[in-house]
Amino acid sequence: MTNGENASTLEHLGASTPTKRYRPFSFSRIYAITINTVTELTRLKVFYVLLVFALVLIGSSIFMAQFSFQQEFQILKDVSLGAISLFTSLLAIVATARLLPQDIEDRTLYTILAKPVPRFEYVLGKIAGVLLLLAISTVLMGAAFLIVLYTREQAVVHTTLRQMSGAPPDQVADALRVVRSSAFNVDILPGIVIIYLKACLLAALTLFVSTFATSNIFTIVVMAFIYFIGHLQATAREYWLHEHSSGLLTRVFLAVVTLLFPDLQAFNLVDDIVAGTAISLAVFAKTAVLGIFYTTIYTLLAAFVFYGKEL
Amino acid sequence: MTNPAVAVHGLTKVFPVPFHRQSIIAVKDLNLRIEPGEVYGLLGPNGSGKSTTLKIILGLVSPTRGRTEIFGRDSRLVESREAVGFLPENPYFYKYLTGKETLRFFGRLCGLKGSALKNRINELLDLVGLSKARNRRLGTYSKGMLQRIGLAQALIHDPRLVVLDEPTAGVDPAGSRDIRDLILDLKRRGITVLLSSHLLAQAQEICDRVGILADGVLVREGHLQELIAIENQTELVIADASDDLIREVESIVKRSNAELIERRKSTTTLERLFLEATKNDKARISNEEGTTEKK
Repeated sequence: MTNGENASTLEHLGASTPTKRYRPFSFSRIYAITINTVTELTRLKVFYVLLVFALVLIGSSIFMAQFSFQQEFQILKDVSLGAISLFTSLLAIVATARLLPQDIEDRTLYTILAKPVPRFEYVLGKIAGVLLLLAISTVLMGAAFLIVLYTREQAVVHTTLRQMSGAPPDQVADALRVVRSSAFNVDILPGIVIIYLKACLLAALTLFVSTFATSNIFTIVVMAFIYFIGHLQATAREYWLHEHSSGLLTRVFLAVVTLLFPDLQAFNLVDDIVAGTAISLAVFAKTAVLGIFYTTIYTLLAAFVFYGKEL
Repeated sequence: MTNPAVAVHGLTKVFPVPFHRQSIIAVKDLNLRIEPGEVYGLLGPNGSGKSTTLKIILGLVSPTRGRTEIFGRDSRLVESREAVGFLPENPYFYKYLTGKETLRFFGRLCGLKGSALKNRINELLDLVGLSKARNRRLGTYSKGMLQRIGLAQALIHDPRLVVLDEPTAGVDPAGSRDIRDLILDLKRRGITVLLSSHLLAQAQEICDRVGILADGVLVREGHLQELIAIENQTELVIADASDDLIREVESIVKRSNAELIERRKSTTTLERLFLEATKNDKARISNEEGTTEKK
């Protein structure tokens, strides 16, 4: 590359660049950051978590061969939904914790924010990327789980039909109904949606913590702490209210605790699904709204803190 | 009257030190005015406040006092960044993206899309000499290549001002020369360049004006030639001069009231020597490779 070559190339530069008017809000900018975040996490091979999930599924299937089909389906649902919940939560925390600090450390953030990109769009793009990645992971894990459940159910149906080949049709139909009802219940799907929303909440909270954290490790440790407290806080709150009067000060204190440590136990519907207890529409709607509310609040808090951050 | 490309008014930046009463003054009452089309060098030792000043101009850091403007628009406004391209010191970018993907990402952030973006990416990859490495991930790029892709992303939206923080830090002489040539070409196109550097020889080659910062204070500023000229001295460079001619010149100087301070052989620069040597070496290696292939 010589000076002369540069000069000739530079003559043409700018000719193909249409002048763009700045828009205070742009979906295409957010979309660019979202897709970049998904690409980043994908190329960092976070999807290896899904392989671990597949191993858990296969492992538990082999282990369950010795049980009755009711026990088998129950354990399969318990293990799989528990694993989906654990892996999506883990993915949400670990993947999100590195996004901001890494961009700051590599000075990539300077290059991005030196372009006409508002800071809140950067935060929105990052969180949208994580939520998209979590959605893909949840769908893949959920699909794998449902395929295994369906395959096992079909195997049991075939065995039942073979065993009851001479039985009256009514008895066969009853037996098949028992098999099918113990395998698949419609509450599995809303259950998976709630697991996803819990992961979204954790991702948004992790992003918020990472806006003022000094390192990835700090963020992950704080989030592990919040995860632990979050699962216990409902019990602690009930105990507190039972033992103490619910004055204004107590209620304000509890509201602050609830905001800092979200009630993660409220998102734990796996036990109900496994037990076959129907999840009412009201419970589903309430939990979903809670998840969306928390995710939104934490994203806004992250954007607020990041807005004033010195880089 | 046209707006200056960059205006800095009474800028002070104080960084508080956590858990301590004292704080660090990074920049103190700085005033700058950079006209459109200039190449301005902000010089100074490490920790003199160069990078902080650039970050404030780009709206990445907020000033404690004072304000900065880019083409008349307050730096704190996001839209002021429409006219700026920035290359930070030792940029890493996203290692998992290829050169082409990197430019596409930054182009989209600037609102470019479709064939316009595609054409722009191709032009810039050609410009910085990375067309062949367009599909390689940045993790495999050398430092010089990273600097060049960094310059390409800074130019993606055809900015009127380019801000370069230590653009040649850690780059070998050949890469450094390429970047210098690019900066001179930007100047030729009327693009304003604001660069920070502590490599003085290089700044001397490309800057129209310089400002020297020390401990956050602007201690010198002005046109480079005026700043470095020694008013009462003159240099004569003569080719093919005989000893007689030299003696005659010396005797004329002696007869006058002037004083001959130094007489020495002209030398080439170490940079030129290095570039010529490595160029010849590269040519020899490629010839040998060609011969080996023929065999």
